[in-house]
Amino acid sequence: MAVKKLWRCNVCNDIHYGIKGPTICPTCGAKNAFTLIDYPESKKVIIDRGDRLDQVDQLLEVWKKFAEGKPFKLNPDLEFVKTLARGELENQKNHGLKYCPCRITTGDLEEDLNLICPCNFFIQPVYKETGECWCGLFVKRE
Amino acid sequence: MLVRTVREEGMTMAEPGNRLIFFWGRECPHCAKLHPIVNEANAELSKGEGQGITELEVWHSEENAKLMRTYGDVLKKACGGSLGVPALYNERTKKALCGMNTTKEQILKLAKE
Repeated sequence: MAVKKLWRCNVCNDIHYGIKGPTICPTCGAKNAFTLIDYPESKKVIIDRGDRLDQVDQLLEVWKKFAEGKPFKLNPDLEFVKTLARGELENQKNHGLKYCPCRITTGDLEEDLNLICPCNFFIQPVYKETGECWCGLFVKRE
Repeated sequence: MLVRTVREEGMTMAEPGNRLIFFWGRECPHCAKLHPIVNEANAELSKGEGQGITELEVWHSEENAKLMRTYGDVLKKACGGSLGVPALYNERTKKALCGMNTTKEQILKLAKE
């Protein structure tokens, strides 16, 4: 598998992490504007404005937005969804990332990145067989 | 180690290496749903001198998570490719069950095999 690298739009300083930079910058629309940079530069370019997604209601909004126009939706059981959100926030506090509370990390960061919610559930057998992601946060639309 | 072994009167405490372990996460809603079923199965298994089920919480105990990872090969297969909870693992037979649809009958079978 090709190694992902960091790219910066030389017009608006958009940062992209991938095998190659986007042809068209999704932020400013510049063409062929992405140049290879390193990790220290990316950290300096990204300005921390204090925004955090660390509240249950914020996560619910993000997930609803994520599911818009897709063949799956957020589980309609609100209490169930809130329990998952609280679990993810707990994992973020204790383990650094919003890992799915129905999974468990392996200790290998690269492998564990697959457990950050929302994960790539829609290509996994569990979703194809049951119509739900592993934790039940997202369910197929009828 | 965050451990809770549900014991009935007279039951025998299972030794490490010979346990039926219930791995669960405190914030996992499926684990909460499965818990009463595990408790029912545990009550049956604990009758007489039977060995009960050892419950290990994995998100708030690194020690328990480490133990779960040592059984990763079997558990990943049972959990659809990645380690997941709720999961039950029989240390003696090296067999596992995973997911919220686990039934009491399946747990009893896993314990008695």
